[in-house]
Amino acid sequence: MKIEELTIEEIQKAYQEKRFTVTEIVQGYLDRINKLDPQIGAFITLCKESALKEAEAIDKKLANGEDIGMLGGIPVAIKDNICTRGIKTTCASKILEDFIPPYDATVVQRLKDAGAIIIGKTNMDEFAMGSSTENSAFQKTKNPWHLDKVPGGSSGGSAAAVAAGFAPLTIGSDTGGSIRQPAAFCGAVGLKPTYGLVSRYGLVAFASSLDQVGPFTRTVKDCAISLQTIQGHDPLDTTSIQREPEKDYISDLHKGVKGLRIGIPKECFKEGLDPEIRSAIEKAVRQLEEDGAVVEEFSLPIMDSGLSAYYIISSAEASANLARYDGVRYGYRAENFTGIEELMENTRTEGFGKEVKRRIMLGTYVLSSGYYDAYYKKAMMLRQKIQKVMKQAFEAYDIILTPTSPVLPFSIGEKTADPMEMYLADIYTVNINIAGVPAISIPCGFSKEKLPIGLQLIGDHYTEKKLLQAAYSLEQGLGVYHETAFLKEAE
Amino acid sequence: MKITTETINYIAKLAKLRFNEDEAETFAKEFEGILDHFQNLDKEDLSMEGLAAAKEGKSILRKDEIKPFENKEELFQNAKGMRESYLSIPKVIE
Repeated sequence: MKIEELTIEEIQKAYQEKRFTVTEIVQGYLDRINKLDPQIGAFITLCKESALKEAEAIDKKLANGEDIGMLGGIPVAIKDNICTRGIKTTCASKILEDFIPPYDATVVQRLKDAGAIIIGKTNMDEFAMGSSTENSAFQKTKNPWHLDKVPGGSSGGSAAAVAAGFAPLTIGSDTGGSIRQPAAFCGAVGLKPTYGLVSRYGLVAFASSLDQVGPFTRTVKDCAISLQTIQGHDPLDTTSIQREPEKDYISDLHKGVKGLRIGIPKECFKEGLDPEIRSAIEKAVRQLEEDGAVVEEFSLPIMDSGLSAYYIISSAEASANLARYDGVRYGYRAENFTGIEELMENTRTEGFGKEVKRRIMLGTYVLSSGYYDAYYKKAMMLRQKIQKVMKQAFEAYDIILTPTSPVLPFSIGEKTADPMEMYLADIYTVNINIAGVPAISIPCGFSKEKLPIGLQLIGDHYTEKKLLQAAYSLEQGLGVYHETAFLKEAE
Repeated sequence: MKITTETINYIAKLAKLRFNEDEAETFAKEFEGILDHFQNLDKEDLSMEGLAAAKEGKSILRKDEIKPFENKEELFQNAKGMRESYLSIPKVIE
């Protein structure tokens, strides 16, 4: 058995057939993490003892023939901006370095209720602000496919953990592409559900109107299983879905794409797109056509300006959300200060990293008197236009297909000098959050240098079922998910 | 659009942050680049989009029910200081 290649589905089957115990699986992943994570840096915290204890409890249930739940005995790693009771939740920030939540996020509670075992907390860009995981206050995460490259971000630790075979399931958050882009960079499946489908309660807020929690897995089927577990209404999140969500994403996965109308925005294929990504996408499109989908090019001229609207709205919301970190009640507090003003100023100046400060500044600027109309108000108006344009597109198409990222995984340090260059890496993903619709990134090939390439499928609100069905069909057709990054122990 | 270090320092004050001269200058330069990019909002025709017209969402309220939080120790573990059952914080009134 190669533990790094196992899917949720395979582990579940092995438990049922008593081929191995939950303890063996959890210990197997922990051993692999201990051996190989020093060179990847995916984890901020490991929960060795509690994970083994929970594994033992589920083994007992299995021995007694009891039901172990939809994700019974499945190890899961959680992004470090999602609250875990009794386990440090840092947001990869000095300002929350010692923060231990007294409660579980709803998504964590649902995973636990389904029998999943939390094995650790993963690295990220500080407060989820970034596209390379280089903005963590603690460590840099490496791309398991190429250790000189970034894993993407902001959920880079979660994506790298799946790609490195440290867990079959990890959880991330996506405000402007933070699940899909690292999934593409690491060759994982990453889903950003419809805004509201998964509760945000316990997710440390970055931009509340855009944030959404979602899974990273090795396969589309595992993604469907995970979504079914974590979704649904939550009275603790007033923006969560108010009706019963789709109950079954799995049964119809194999139904194929025959007759499915797929639109491709031609704006995604102009200059700026890496030629290797272009040819991988073209190959995937041919696959879809062969399988009976009706693929058509159309115009969606909102990409560029949507990026501006995204950075204005998300920074504005962040500047308000992060006002709470003032050193008064919890979190980091500056040692030297005279008076309350200086306490807050020193705490925030010492506690936040550079990118977080940049976003707070940008957000404060666009909301400040004299600039509100020129930036924030315009961005909010554009947001409505984007929502309308996307709605119209979904009248003509079931699914919109784009590359996930215009660029291949870049080198560590390559884009840190110019913030605008880093922001441009999000051009295909941000509009999806602005519209609030779901999108999935799946691996669709490799570059010549053996770097993963991701493809994004976008659906209308709450059409995850159709989206997963199309993604599954394409995944089976392309078959690239069988490959795992090869890692050897550092000497 | 030209951004001065005075603007940066003014915004920093609003955001309760502080920058030294070098940092403020770097920020000013980066801001210019970012705000220049934001100018592409102006090429969008937004005349159709009334802000008021699109507020279809409604507020969802839940019942305000009191539930005792059993484990107070866990609840207060992140506080910087406690005195009996009160949080102790630095002096906030001059």
